[in-house]
Amino acid sequence: MGGKVTCTLGEVKNRADLIIYWGGNPADCHPLHFSRYTLNAKGKHVPQGRKGRTMVLVDVRETPSVRFSDIFLQVRPGKDFEVVTTLRALLKNRPVDEARVAETGLTLEQLQNLVDRMKNARFGVLFFGMGLTMTRGKHMNSAAVLTLVAELNAFTKFVSMPMRGHGNVTGADVVMRWTTGFPFGVNLSRGYPRFNPGEFSTIDVLVRGDNDAALILGADPGATMPQPAIDHLARIPTIVLDPKLTHTSRLARVHITTATTGISAPGTAYRMDEIPLPLKPILKSPYPTDEEVIRRIYEKVKVKPAWSPAAYAKVPCA
Amino acid sequence: MPPTTLENATCTFCGCVCDNIGLEADGDRIVKTKRACGLGEAWFKNHTAERLYPDALIDGKPASVDEAVEAAADYLYQANMPLVYGLSNITCEAQRKAVALAELVGGVVDSHTSL
Repeated sequence: MGGKVTCTLGEVKNRADLIIYWGGNPADCHPLHFSRYTLNAKGKHVPQGRKGRTMVLVDVRETPSVRFSDIFLQVRPGKDFEVVTTLRALLKNRPVDEARVAETGLTLEQLQNLVDRMKNARFGVLFFGMGLTMTRGKHMNSAAVLTLVAELNAFTKFVSMPMRGHGNVTGADVVMRWTTGFPFGVNLSRGYPRFNPGEFSTIDVLVRGDNDAALILGADPGATMPQPAIDHLARIPTIVLDPKLTHTSRLARVHITTATTGISAPGTAYRMDEIPLPLKPILKSPYPTDEEVIRRIYEKVKVKPAWSPAAYAKVPCA
Repeated sequence: MPPTTLENATCTFCGCVCDNIGLEADGDRIVKTKRACGLGEAWFKNHTAERLYPDALIDGKPASVDEAVEAAADYLYQANMPLVYGLSNITCEAQRKAVALAELVGGVVDSHTSL
């Protein structure tokens, strides 16, 4: 689990009486989250369902999720980190500067009220989205929230969970963790895994122009990434595997059409709480699966002489 | 033949990965979904099994999968530091192979998590 204090969505459903969504809009982006896992679900220890739970929404603007919440806290953009650290201070009864709290767009009373609710919850859960993790502070915001939640366990049971966007992005974390030891942004160019977000994360690699080829698997960076990153993808040999012709396919040297995951390709996908679920394809695709194509590329490369320094070490020097 | 109706299918559109979706297919397309949200319904109905695109493209020209696999392997082998990116919309089995390939070619492997 990467060290975070977390649980499954089944536990949230059956136990949570305080549900906080921070920097996300589940009503639009995860429409069934409320009914299947959190707010409206009737749980073993929350038999009243919605009436037995309190929902707090923290965001920089009013979204359609606001009408589902009991309390909406509107943070000034870019002030999430300050809010989390203030909550941590209040949790430990440390003095805080009221004027500086006001800069976050919230009042001390609002934050004290939230801390009291957190401490008095039977089982609290904090879901955090890209509004927290991708804005000013980035991974420092995530670290602050995870620390806050860990510290709350001195008072009550409290867990956190990131709201994952893509269908199997959690699976990518899990698979990379058990194969390389790190969840993402792993550099294997020295023959062993190195992890350094900001250096080996895709946008940074592309914008600096560090890589001299790219294999894009079921993603469309050509439509979503900053222009310098897209320019670099067009400059180098880019290979795309995707069920559709994407923006990235158009700038790639090689595109291979593959079967759609879960609809015509079987396999496993991880839910956001790291529960693996089997995929049940209903259609038979005329295209090969991603798994098959990657395996075939692997086999083609495998028969070529190895690049690894270890292989060259065996060559006697003059 | 794959089934034409399916109970408890798994939707991989978002991180909720709802596994209670009812599906009904007619030939190459899914015509009905049950218990899916708006996003899930669009996901299932917009991905058909029709042959809408060429099997593969090399430099924008239609090619066979064999040729494309060969070209991809050559590019990745010749690169000093290739980047393997994406992984968020493919199965865990494919992700595992992708990590193995990244190790073999000595590259960086990364997913949408880093965005």
